[in-house]
Amino acid sequence: MTAKANDMHTTRIKKSAGDYVFEIALILLFSLFTLLCIFPFYYLFINTISDNDAVTSGLVNFYPIGIHFNNYANLLNASDLGNAVLVTVARTVIGTALMVLTSAWAGYLVTKQKMWKRSLWYRALVVTMYFNAGLVPWYMNMLMLGLTDNFLAYIIPGMVAPYNIILVKTYIESIPASLEESATIDGATTTKVFLRIILPLSVPILATIAIFGAVGNWNSFQDSLLLMSNSPNLYTLQHRLYIYLNTTSNLGAVMNAGAGGVNTAAAQSLLNTKVIKYTVSMVTIIPILLVYPFMQRFFVKGIMLGAVKG
Amino acid sequence: MQAVTTTKAAAPKPRYGELIPYWFHRVIILLAGMMVFFSPVNPGRILKQINENASLFTTAFSYDNITTQLKTAISRGAITEDNIRALMLGCIILLAGILLCAVGGCMSAGNVRMKKAGMWFPLAGSLAMLGGLYKIWTDYQGIYTFVTENNKTSRATPITPDGSIPGNILVFAVTAGLILVSTLLVMIIVLPKEQEEKMEMEEKYKLFLMMLPVLLLTFVFAYLPIYGWRFAFFDYRIGDTLSSENFVGFEWFRTLVSNEATRSDLARVLSNTLIMSGLGIITSWLPIAFAVLLAEIPSSKFQRFVQTFTTIPNFISWVLVYAIAYAIFSTDGFINSFLTNVLNRPTSTDYLANADLIKLKMLLWGTWKGVGWSAIIYIAGIAGIDQQLYEAASVDGANRYQRMWHITIPGLLPTYMVMLLMSIAGILSNGMEQYLVFSNAINKSAIEVLDLYVYNIGIGSGQIPMSTVVGITKSLVGVILLFGANGISKMLRGESII
Repeated sequence: MTAKANDMHTTRIKKSAGDYVFEIALILLFSLFTLLCIFPFYYLFINTISDNDAVTSGLVNFYPIGIHFNNYANLLNASDLGNAVLVTVARTVIGTALMVLTSAWAGYLVTKQKMWKRSLWYRALVVTMYFNAGLVPWYMNMLMLGLTDNFLAYIIPGMVAPYNIILVKTYIESIPASLEESATIDGATTTKVFLRIILPLSVPILATIAIFGAVGNWNSFQDSLLLMSNSPNLYTLQHRLYIYLNTTSNLGAVMNAGAGGVNTAAAQSLLNTKVIKYTVSMVTIIPILLVYPFMQRFFVKGIMLGAVKG
Repeated sequence: MQAVTTTKAAAPKPRYGELIPYWFHRVIILLAGMMVFFSPVNPGRILKQINENASLFTTAFSYDNITTQLKTAISRGAITEDNIRALMLGCIILLAGILLCAVGGCMSAGNVRMKKAGMWFPLAGSLAMLGGLYKIWTDYQGIYTFVTENNKTSRATPITPDGSIPGNILVFAVTAGLILVSTLLVMIIVLPKEQEEKMEMEEKYKLFLMMLPVLLLTFVFAYLPIYGWRFAFFDYRIGDTLSSENFVGFEWFRTLVSNEATRSDLARVLSNTLIMSGLGIITSWLPIAFAVLLAEIPSSKFQRFVQTFTTIPNFISWVLVYAIAYAIFSTDGFINSFLTNVLNRPTSTDYLANADLIKLKMLLWGTWKGVGWSAIIYIAGIAGIDQQLYEAASVDGANRYQRMWHITIPGLLPTYMVMLLMSIAGILSNGMEQYLVFSNAINKSAIEVLDLYVYNIGIGSGQIPMSTVVGITKSLVGVILLFGANGISKMLRGESII
C-alpha cells in the first residue's frame, strides 16, 4: 500500500535529470545499507559450512569452500548445546502459549465495563509497563518465590504481558459488540463467548503477539544469566552462546569437558574455536530467520496497534 | 456490603454492626493469602539453615531450596530427609488450607445461598491450616530434641534456642484461629436464614474473580518486588538476616553522595548513560529520514526488499549482535581475513578490544540493529498521508524536496514527537544487555551505563543495598521524567503519551 501510493505521486510528475541522479544515489545508499544488514549473516553461514582448515586460515570471505554440514551435527552431539536448545525450545513453546492465552483472556476481560473496579485493575496492569522496582529487588523477589535455578522462572513471570494485553484489548474493542450481545441473549456465558466468538475472531492479533513473544523468548538472555547461576543445565541458548563467545581457551576441549568427556572423535573435529563460535551463532540465528517471513506479515499491524494504545 | 443488599428484596437489610465480622473475615483471608509469598513470616523456616529469603510457597514445593545449606546436616545425620519431607508436607497442607479459605472468600461475593455454601470452605480451610501447622510444629519438636541431645545444633540450628514454638508458626496459627472464629461468627450471626433457590453471583463480581488470577500474577511479579526496597535500609549481604541490628536507615543514600569513590563511579556511569541516551536522541531523526527517502524510490519492489532485510537485525538478541561483531571484527574475523588474504596486508587486530570512540560504535550498533525497524512506523505513516496534498502541491509547482519538507515530514511529526518524548522519559534506561555483551576490560569504564552498573555492583559483587539504592533512585527519577514528558505532551499536543 505504501509503495503503490508513492508510485502515484512520483510517477505522475515528469522527472528531471537531477531527479534521476537523486534516485540512483538513494538506490545505491539503501542497497549498501541492506548489504550491511545481510552480509554478516551470510558470512557466518558460509564459514560454518566450509572446510574447517580454510576457515581457520581466513580464506572463506565471500563464498564457501569445500561444503559440508558436519559442524552442526557434531556440535549438537558433542556439547551441552543440545541441552540449551531443548530448554530454549521448551520455554519458547510453553511460555509463548501461556502468554498468548493469558493476554487473550485478560484483554477480553478488561473490555468488560461491568467488572467490579475495572478501571482500577486495568490501570494497575498498565502502570507496570512504565514502572519497575529495579533489578536487584526483582532478583530478591525471585529468590523469595523460589524461582531461581527453576525452569518455571522462564514461564510464569512472562505470562502477564501488559503491552500485549493492551493490544488484544484494543483489537477486541474493534469487534462489533452486537456479536457478543446476541450470543449473551442466547444464554452464552462469559467463558463461552470468549471461546466461541472472541478467540476465533482475534486470531490475527493473537498470531502477532505469539510471534513477537516467541522471538522474545528465543532471544532471552538476562533471566538465564541472573537466575540460573547454579544450574548450567537450565542455561538458554543465548546464554550458552554468550559463554562460548567469551571463552578464549580451546573451546573444543571446554565443550568436550562439558559433555562429560564422551564423543572424543566428534570433539576432535571440533577443536577449532572459531568454527564452534560461528556454528553456535548460526544455530541461534537460524530459527529467527525461519519464522521471519511469517513475522513480516504482522509487522505493521503490531506496531500500528501499539501506537493507538489507551 | 453491596453483595448482601442486592440479594432478594425479601431478605431484610443486614445491620452494619453485623457486617463487621464479615469484612474482617475477608480481609484476614486476603492477608493469609499474601503471607504465603512473604519470606519474613515463613513458618516453614524452622532451621536457621533454611534460606532466609524463601517464602512459604517456596518451602512447600522446592526440596532443593530448603536443603541448599543443609546438605552436610543431612549427611552427618543431624536431620533426616524424612524431617524435610514432613516439613514440606506440613507446608503443603497449610497452603491447601489457605487455598480453601480463598475459595470461600471468592464465593462470598455471591448471593446468600452461595455465601452460605462458601462458608464451609474457610471452616475446613482454617482447620487444615491448623493441621498443617501442627505437622510442622511436631516435626520441629522432633528435630529440636534430636539435635540438642546429640549436640548437632551447629549443623541444623533450630530457629528458637529454647525449643519454644517459632513465632512464624504462631503468626499463622493466630491467623487460622481468626479465620475460624470470624467464619463461625458470619455463619451464625450475619447470614440471614432465608436463601435463594440457586447459587448465583452478580456479573460484576464474576468478572472480577475471572480476572483475579491475572491480577495475582501482576501483584507477585510487578508489585511485590517493591518490597525488596527494604534492603536499601539495611547493612545486608546475601545470607544475612534482616534485623534491627543491621538497620542503617538512610545511611546508604548518604554514602551515595558522600563517599568519594562511589560518587566518582556514579558520575562516570551517569555521564555514560546520558551520553548514550543523548546520542540516541540526537540521531532519533534517522528513522524518519530512512522512511522519507525510501518512499522517494519509485520501485515498490525495491522498497519491500530494503524493508524486509533491514528489519532482520531488530529481531536478533544483543548476544547475537555481539556474535556478529565478533565474526566481523575479532582477531580472526572478516576484516582481518580480508586484509590478510585478499589485500595481502597481514594483520591480526582485535577491533573489539579497542576503546576509541567506543560510544559512537555502540550507537552505530544500535542504529544498525534498530533503524530499519523504527522506520516502519513512519513508512506506515507516509502511507496514511492524504495523496491530494501531494497533487495540490505539484499543481502549485512544488518540487520533490519541497513536497518532502512541507508535506511528508510535517505529517510524520506528531508520531516523532511521541517517540522523542518517550525516549526523553527513558533517558536513564539504556538497558544493560548491549553494554554487558560488548564490555571488556578495555572499554568497560567507558560503556558502563546505569543499568549495567546496578547489575555489576548488585549481582556481580553482591552489594545488594547499594545497588538497590541506585535502583530506587533510578525508578523514582524515571517516574518523574515520564510524568514530565507526559505533561509536555499534554501541553503541546493535548494528548497524553501514557
